[in-house]
Amino acid sequence: MKRPLILLTALLAVPAVGVTSTPITGMVASKCVITTDTDGVYGNPTATELSTLATKGGVLPIIRYDIVTANAYKAKVHTPVAFTSSPALGSETVNWTGSTLAGQMSDAAMSVFNTNKVVYNNTSEFDLVKAGSVWFNVTSAATYGYNKAFPAGTYQAVVTAECVAK
Amino acid sequence: MRFFIILILVLSCGYASAHQWTPTYPKLKPSHVPGVYTTKMELFNGRKNIRYYSVGVFDKDWKKVKYVSSPSLIRVSHLDRKEVEIYIHKRDKSKAYYVCSKSKILSTVKDQSIVASRICSKIK
Repeated sequence: MKRPLILLTALLAVPAVGVTSTPITGMVASKCVITTDTDGVYGNPTATELSTLATKGGVLPIIRYDIVTANAYKAKVHTPVAFTSSPALGSETVNWTGSTLAGQMSDAAMSVFNTNKVVYNNTSEFDLVKAGSVWFNVTSAATYGYNKAFPAGTYQAVVTAECVAK
Repeated sequence: MRFFIILILVLSCGYASAHQWTPTYPKLKPSHVPGVYTTKMELFNGRKNIRYYSVGVFDKDWKKVKYVSSPSLIRVSHLDRKEVEIYIHKRDKSKAYYVCSKSKILSTVKDQSIVASRICSKIK
C-alpha cells in the first residue's frame, strides 16, 4: 500500500519541479556608438588664450567610439572654429587651433588609427579598421587678435564627433 | 576570446550613455504610397543632456537630398529608443547615399565645451 502511494506522490510532484525556460534573444549588428566620456573645459592661462590642455588649466573633451564591426565606419572629429556663445567680441579675429588623437584603446592594434589619420581644415578623420573601443582626446585652443585679452564672460564651443558608414 | 570580451564591454557600456543609429546599411523599400520609397531607422539616446535629434539625407557629395521623415525632429528621452521612418521620392532614390542623425543642443545648455554627435548610415 505504501509503495503505490509514494509512486503517486512522486508523479504528482514532477510538474511542480518542472523547468520553465525563458528565451533571451539578441542580435549583434554592425554599429558605431558615440559616447561623450568627458565634457571639455577651456582653461584661461593668460587673458589672451583659451585652451582645453591640462597644462593650461583646461580639461580635454574625451569621446569614446565603440565599433562592433571592423572596417565599416570612419570617425570624423571636428574641432570648433567659432564660439556658439560668448560675450560680444570686437572686430578682432579669433584664431583657432585644434587636434584629435586616439588615446586609450581596447586593442593595441588600434594605434593604426593615429598612424593613418587624415587631417584637413578643422577635421581629423580616422579609418576605424579595428573593432573595439577607442577614446579620442580633443585639443582646442583660441587666441584673440594679436595679444588681445578676451572680454570677460562665458565662452562656449562645440566639438562635433561623427561616425560615417563606409 | 579578447574580441568577445570587447564585444560584451561594447554591448553593455554602449547602452549606458551613448548615441546609436542603426542599421549601418539600411535598404530602401517601396512604401504604401506609389513612387515613394521608405526605410526604418532606430535611434537610441543614452546622452543625458540631449533630448532632440535631427535627421538628414545626403548624396555622395554631402548635398542634401529631399526626404520626409516621421518625425522630422526626434524628441527622445534619456535611455529611450525611437523608430524613425524615412520616405524618399523615387526620383531621389538613386541620389540618396547617407542617412544621418545628429544631436541637437538646446541653447539653455551652458557647458563650456559641448560634444555634438552625428552618425551616418549608408543606404545600400
